[in-house]
Amino acid sequence: MDSECVSILPRVCEVLAASGSSLPDDTSLEKLLDWLTTITQTGVSLLEACPCLLDFLSNVALNAAPGPGILSFTLKLAGLIGGSEDGFKALEECSVLELVFAPHHWQESGLWEDPSLRIGWIQGLKAILQHSKALGFFVQADLLEPLLQLQTDSSLFVASAANQTLAHVLLLCQSLSSVGRDGTNKRDVEHNGVGVETNQNCSGVVSKVSEYLNESLVPRETSRLPHSQQILKLLSQLLVQVRPPLRETLLRAVLDSLEELATKSCSQLTLPLVDVLLAANSSLGDTDRIPKQRIGKLLSLVLDTKKPTDVVQAAAALMRSRQTDPDHSAHAARVLLLPLDIVTGVSLVDKDSTDEELRILMTEQLQSKTCVSMICMCLTNMPQITVMAPDRLPCPQSLVVRAVLSLLRLCRGDCSSSSAGCVGVFRYVTGSSKVQKCAMEALSALSKSPEVKIGLAEVFKLLTEYLNCPLSEPSVLQKSYKVLINWIDVCTDLSCISDQLREDLTQAVRKRACDTRWEARDSTVEFLGHLAEVRSCRTSGGEEREPSNALLGGRAFAVPLLKEALQDPESYVRASSIAALAQTLTPSWQQGAPVTQEQVEIVTRLQEILSQDSEGFARRAVVKYFIAWFSSCSSPTSCPLLVQHVPAVLSQGAADLDWEVKLHTLELAELLLDRAFPDPAPPHPYAVTPEGLIHGEDEESALLGSLNGVVDRGVVSALFCGLVDCDRPVALKACQLLLRLRAAVCPPTASAADTGVSCKLPGRSWAQEIRKIQGTNTDSEGGSAVGSEARGEAVEESSVGVREALRSLDLDEKLSILTQSSDHVYNSPLSLLQDILTASTAHSHPTSEPGQEVIVDCY
Amino acid sequence: MKLYCLSGHPTLPCNVLKFKSTTIMLDCGLDTTSVLNFLPLPLVHSPRLSKLPGWISKDGTVNLEKELKECAGRVFVDSQPEFCLPERELLDLSTIDVILISNYHCMMALPYITEHTGFTGTVYATEPTLQIGRLLMEELVNFMERVPKAQSATCWKNKEIQRMLPGPLKDAVDVWTWKRCYSMQEVNSALSKVQLVGYSQKVELFGAVQVSPLSSGYSLGSSNWIIQSHHEKVSYVSGSSLLTTHPQPMDQSSLKNSDVLILTGLTQMPTANPDGMLGEFCSNLAMTIRAGGNVLVPCYSSGVIYDLLECLYQFIDNANLGTTPFYFISPVANSSLEFSQIFAEWLCHNKQTKVYLPEPPFPHAELIQTNKLKHYPSIHGDFSSEFRQPCVVFTGHPSLRFGDVVHFMELWGKSGLNTVIFTEPDFSYLDALAPYQPLAMKCVYCPIDTRLNFHQVSKFLKEVQPLHVVCPEQYTQPPLTQSHRSDLMLELQPPPMPYRRCAVLNLPFRRCYERVYILPELANSLVPSEVKPGITVATVSAVLHSKDNKHTLQSVPKPPPAAPSKKRKRVIEEPPATLAPKPLLSGAVPLEAFLATLQKHGITEVKVEETGEGHILHLQAEDTLIQLEEDGTHIVCDNNEPLRTTLRDLVLRFLQKL
Repeated sequence: MDSECVSILPRVCEVLAASGSSLPDDTSLEKLLDWLTTITQTGVSLLEACPCLLDFLSNVALNAAPGPGILSFTLKLAGLIGGSEDGFKALEECSVLELVFAPHHWQESGLWEDPSLRIGWIQGLKAILQHSKALGFFVQADLLEPLLQLQTDSSLFVASAANQTLAHVLLLCQSLSSVGRDGTNKRDVEHNGVGVETNQNCSGVVSKVSEYLNESLVPRETSRLPHSQQILKLLSQLLVQVRPPLRETLLRAVLDSLEELATKSCSQLTLPLVDVLLAANSSLGDTDRIPKQRIGKLLSLVLDTKKPTDVVQAAAALMRSRQTDPDHSAHAARVLLLPLDIVTGVSLVDKDSTDEELRILMTEQLQSKTCVSMICMCLTNMPQITVMAPDRLPCPQSLVVRAVLSLLRLCRGDCSSSSAGCVGVFRYVTGSSKVQKCAMEALSALSKSPEVKIGLAEVFKLLTEYLNCPLSEPSVLQKSYKVLINWIDVCTDLSCISDQLREDLTQAVRKRACDTRWEARDSTVEFLGHLAEVRSCRTSGGEEREPSNALLGGRAFAVPLLKEALQDPESYVRASSIAALAQTLTPSWQQGAPVTQEQVEIVTRLQEILSQDSEGFARRAVVKYFIAWFSSCSSPTSCPLLVQHVPAVLSQGAADLDWEVKLHTLELAELLLDRAFPDPAPPHPYAVTPEGLIHGEDEESALLGSLNGVVDRGVVSALFCGLVDCDRPVALKACQLLLRLRAAVCPPTASAADTGVSCKLPGRSWAQEIRKIQGTNTDSEGGSAVGSEARGEAVEESSVGVREALRSLDLDEKLSILTQSSDHVYNSPLSLLQDILTASTAHSHPTSEPGQEVIVDCY
Repeated sequence: MKLYCLSGHPTLPCNVLKFKSTTIMLDCGLDTTSVLNFLPLPLVHSPRLSKLPGWISKDGTVNLEKELKECAGRVFVDSQPEFCLPERELLDLSTIDVILISNYHCMMALPYITEHTGFTGTVYATEPTLQIGRLLMEELVNFMERVPKAQSATCWKNKEIQRMLPGPLKDAVDVWTWKRCYSMQEVNSALSKVQLVGYSQKVELFGAVQVSPLSSGYSLGSSNWIIQSHHEKVSYVSGSSLLTTHPQPMDQSSLKNSDVLILTGLTQMPTANPDGMLGEFCSNLAMTIRAGGNVLVPCYSSGVIYDLLECLYQFIDNANLGTTPFYFISPVANSSLEFSQIFAEWLCHNKQTKVYLPEPPFPHAELIQTNKLKHYPSIHGDFSSEFRQPCVVFTGHPSLRFGDVVHFMELWGKSGLNTVIFTEPDFSYLDALAPYQPLAMKCVYCPIDTRLNFHQVSKFLKEVQPLHVVCPEQYTQPPLTQSHRSDLMLELQPPPMPYRRCAVLNLPFRRCYERVYILPELANSLVPSEVKPGITVATVSAVLHSKDNKHTLQSVPKPPPAAPSKKRKRVIEEPPATLAPKPLLSGAVPLEAFLATLQKHGITEVKVEETGEGHILHLQAEDTLIQLEEDGTHIVCDNNEPLRTTLRDLVLRFLQKL
C-alpha cells in the first residue's frame, strides 16, 4: 500500500465523518471502497494498515449525523473489515458491530427509509458473513428476520441484493457445516467448542429459510406474483450452487409448493418455474434420496400445460438448457414443432402423439397477432432441434427443412403448398420480416444437420426468390446470403442446381449490386467475398470446382461487380468491396498466378482510396487488402506489383489520421519485418553453436542486406512515425516492433560506432520529434547530436543511422510508459483521496473563491 | 337515395348518386384496357406488323383476314383502338346535374358524357385536375390522330362471329358500345363545362346539398368529395394515398361521421409495396445501363413519373449514371414538366416551402438544367439528332398500343441487353407485350400504385367510422389468384355493399329529418310548455312553404284557409291530430304510484304482469285490464262505463296536459 495514501487516509476519514455532502462526485465513495477491497484481497489486514478506519467506524456509528450515503459506505466498510476474523474481533471489541448492524438502530433514527442505507446494510452483512463467528453474530442478533423482510422490499435493487445475500447465507451455512463434518478439522472444531454451536446455528438458519421459501413460493393473490417470481429465481440460483445435504433439505421443503405451482400453471411463473425444475433436475444425481422422477414428472406436467404460449415458452427453456433427459427434450421438440406443423401443413408431429386439445388451442392461438412471436420462438430453437438424435425427433429433419421452406414461402404470400387449416395466420406472417429473419436463421442451422442435403435445389430456389423479391428487407437479404453460403458450404455436389436457377441467381446478385439501399449492396458485396472463400465441391461432371465458379461464373463475374462497388458512394460498401476483392483474389495470389491488367487497375484505385477517401472504413480496408495480399503470397518479392506499392501504402498509412489505419499499417510493417528477419529456429538445448557463425561476416552482411531491404520499403520510417504518434495503441505497437528490430539488428556485443544502413527522415513533424528525442538522448551521453534542428539548420530531409537511432531512442523506457493506461494518474487511489480532501476544503471555505466551482474533469 | 353504377372498373369509376332531388355523377373514368385487343399503331412503318398473317377460323368458314391479325398465337384487331365507355343506357345522361371529378385519371370519359347526350350540367374539378386532365386527353387525341387508320373493323363485333373468335376477344363484353377516341374539339367543349373549385370550398347545389372537395393525397389536385345536407352526409373516396409523395396529404378528419361512404380507387397492386417497387425500378435500370443496354419506361406523362424522376435524381450519382441521357418523349412532355412546378399550393408541405426559397419544388428542373433529362414532343424532329445510346426513355402510352413507345419497342425489342420496365399498374404487362412476341428484350414489372391498400383502408375506416360503406364487388373478396389472402379484402361490420357495372343500389339509409325555418312572427305566437326538464313543446298551426329545397313555416293567412297543411313534422312529438283545442297529453304513468291511487279508490285486487313493452294490470274483482305501455294506455273494461271513466281520470292525473 502506498505510504502517501496511508498518511492521507486519516484526514480523509475525518472529512468523511464530519460531513459527506462535499464529495467531488457521487462515485468517489464507491471508488474508495473498491480500492479498500482490492487491498483486502491482496491479503493485507485493513486495520493493521490503516487503524484510523476503526475510529472512523465508531465515530460514524455513534453519531449518525452524516448523510445516508456515508452511512451506507460505513456499513459496507464495516462488512469489509469484519469479513476477516481479526477484523471481526476488533469490531466486536469496540462494540461497533451490534450498533451498526442493528436495524432498529437505524429505524429509530428514521434513516432506514432511505434505500441506500438498506442496500449498505445488506451488502455489509453479505461481506461480513465469511466465517462462523459472523454467523454466530447473525443468529444471535436475529438478523435473519429483517433480511427475510427485505426480500420483498419496495425497491427492486434492495430486494435483489437481499435475495443474493440470502443465497450467500445458505452457502455459508453449507460450507461451515461441511467443515464440521470434515474429519481433519473435527479435532480443532471440537477443541474450540465452536462446532456444536455453529452446526446449531446453521441448521436453524437453513430450516427457517426453507420454511420461508416454501411459504412464499405459491402466490396467494395476484399482487404477490412478482414476489413468487423473485423467490423462484432465488431458488434456481441456489439449486445450482448448493451441494447434497443442503440441496436435499431445500428441495424437500419446496417440492410440494413446486408441484402446486406446476398444476396451477400461472403464465407469469412458467419460465422461472421451469428454470427451477431444470436446475433441480441437473443437480440431482440418480442416487439422491429425492427421486429425480418426481422432478421429471413435474417437468412433464409443465410441458403438458394447455396454454399454448406457456407451453411453448417452457419447451423453449427446456431446449435451451441442453441438459434434460431425452424424453423431455423429445417432448419439448414436439411442442416446438407443433406451431410449424399447424401453420405449414407439413406433418411434423404425429397427430396421435400430440394432445388433440393442445393442437386445437394452438391453432386458435395462431390466428391471433401473437402468432408471430410464437413462431419466432419455435424457429429460434431450431439449432437445438438439429443436434438432437434422429430417433428422438418426431419426424425426419428433411421434413423440418420442408416446413421452414414452406413457412418462408408463406411469408412471401405464396401458400400453394400449405394447409387450409390455419388461414388466419397468413395475415400476420405475410411480409413479416421478423418471421423471415428467424426462419432464415433456422434454415441456416438446419444446413448443419447431416441428413438434409436432398433439399438443396429447393433451398436454392427459395433463396433466389428471396434475393430477387423487391419487397425483401436488407436484413432479410443479408440473412438469405448467409444461408446460401452455409448451404453451399456443406454441399458436396452442385449438380442439382439447374442452369435456369443459376441464371436467376446471377441476375438477382447483379441486381442487388445496384440496389438503392446501401445495406443491400453491402450484403451483396460481402456475399461475393464469402463465396470465394467456400471450399471447392464437386460438379455434375465429377470434377472439383470452386462454388463461386460453378454458381456465378467465378472471378470473371465477381471482380467487375466489385470494381464497380469501389466507386460506391457509401463508405461501408467501398470497404466491403475491398475486403471481398481480397477474398476473391486470394487463391490466385496463393498460386502465384501472373498479375493481370485488371489487378493493376484495382491497385491503382485502392491507392487512390487510401490517399483520398474521406472515410476511415475504406482506408482501413485498403491496408488490410495489402496485408492479405502480402501474407497469402508465398514469395512477395516475386510479385513486382506488390513490392512496388508497399512503400507507398506504408508511408500513406502511417501518415493517416485514423488510428486504426495506422495500426493496420504497422501490422503490414510487422509482416515485412517477419519476412526480413524470420525468427530463428529455437536452438536445440544441447546443440553447440560455433562461435564464428553468430557474428560471422556472412551473417552480418545478410543482416545488413535485410535491414537495407526493410529501410528501402519504408518500414523503418513507418515505425519511427508510429513511435511518436499521439494515439497510444499506435505508439505502443511501433515501439514493440522497433524493439524487435533492435533485437534483430543490434547485437549487444557490437560496437556502437558501426554505421552502414541509414534511413531518411523527411521534413515532417514526426521526423523532428524523432530527432528531438534522439538529440536529447545523445546529448546527455555526450555524443554528437544528429539532429540538425539543434544547430538551426534547415529542417529538410536528412538521414539517420538505423542502428544508432535504435540504440539512442530509449525504447524500453518508452514501452513502459506506453503500456500504462493513459488515465493511470487520474485513476490512482492517491488522486481519489486528494480529490476528496480538496473538495472538502473548497466546501468548507465557500466564500474564499466565490463563483469558482470545482469542475471535475471527466476525461 | 340511389346509386347507379355505370362502370365496373374499381379504379376508373363512374357512378351516379341520386340524393335529395339532385343527380350527381361521381367521376367518369374511361376503361382503356380494351385497346389491348388491338394491334399497335406504329409511328414508322413496321414491316413486322404489316406482315402479320390474317386470321381465318380453323374450319375456314370465317375469314376476317382484313380485320384480325395473328401474332404469337394471339389474335388482334387491326383497326383504330377503341375504348370501353361507361354504361349509357342505365339512365338518361341529360338529367345529370353535376359531375364531380376526383383526379385526372378519372375524367378521361368526360367528352363521351357531356357531348351529344343533352348534358347541360356543370363539371366540378380542381385546377390541376383540369389542366393535367386536359394534357392527358390532348396526348391521347394526338397519339390517335397522328397515325390515322382508314379502316374501321366492325365485322368481328358481330355476335355470331365474336363467339367463334379465340382468346380474350371472344370474352370481351359489350364490344358494340366500344368507341373510337374523341376529337380535340370535343375535348375543348367538354372541358369548357368545368368549373374550378379549391379544397374545402363549399358549393351549394340547388339549396339541397352542399358538395366540397378534400385533398386525397394521390395526385396533383386529386380530391375526395363530401356531399351533405343538413342532416345527411355522403363521402365519396376515390384514389387516395397516405404515402408521402408530391401531393398534399390526404384530409381524413373531414370524412368522419358519414352516413354512407362510397369507396373506390384502392391500389390495384395490393401486394406490391411502392417503395420496394421504386427500389426495384432503380436497380434494374442501373443494371441494364451498366451492361450497356437501353431502358424503356412506358408511362403516363403525368403522375408517378414525377416521383420516378425525383428518385432517379438522387440515384443517378449513387449508381454512377451521371453521363447516361434520360429522355422524356410526349406531345405534352414540356407542359407536364412545367405545370407540375407551378401548382405549388397543391403540393406537399416540403415542396411548398421550396417555392418560398425560391426553388423549383421538383428536382427534375435541375435535371433539365444540367441536360441530364431532355424532353421532346415526339421521336421526329430534334430528338433524332440528339439521340445517344445507352439511354433511358420515358414515353407513352403504357398500353404499348399507340404513342412513341411503339417505336422503341420495335427498335429495342430484339436485343437482350435492353429492358422495358413497367411502372403503371393499369395494364397487365403480359397482355401489353403480346403483339411484340417473340421478344428478346428483358421485361421488368414494377407497378407503382400509391393508392390505399387494404391494410391502410381498414385503419382509415376504423378512424372515420362511416355507418355504411359501398364499394366495387372486387373489394369484398380476395383476388381470384390469391383466394387464401383474406387480408386482401374489406372486412367490415356491417359488411360493405358491393356494386358491379349496371347495378342500381338502394342505399341503406333513410332520411328522417329535414330542416324547416319558422318565421319570427309565428315563433312569437308559440306558447311552449316544458314536458321534461330541457324539453319544451308547443303546438303550432302554420302553412308550410317549400321553394328551392328550403322549407318555411308561415302564419296561417287571416281568411280561413281552405285546408291546413297535412305535412307532419317529426320535431314535434305529438302531432296535432285535429284543430279542435283538445289538450294534448304527455308523460308516463308511474306504476307504484298508480297502484297506490287505485288502492285509495278501493281497487285492491290487482295482478301486475310485466310485458316487453310495459305492464298489464288485471283488476280481478272488476274483470278489467289496464295496459300501460310506452306509447299508449288502454283500459279494457266491458260494460262498466263509470269504472272506465274513473280509471281514465286516474290515469289522466299522472299525465301532463298541453
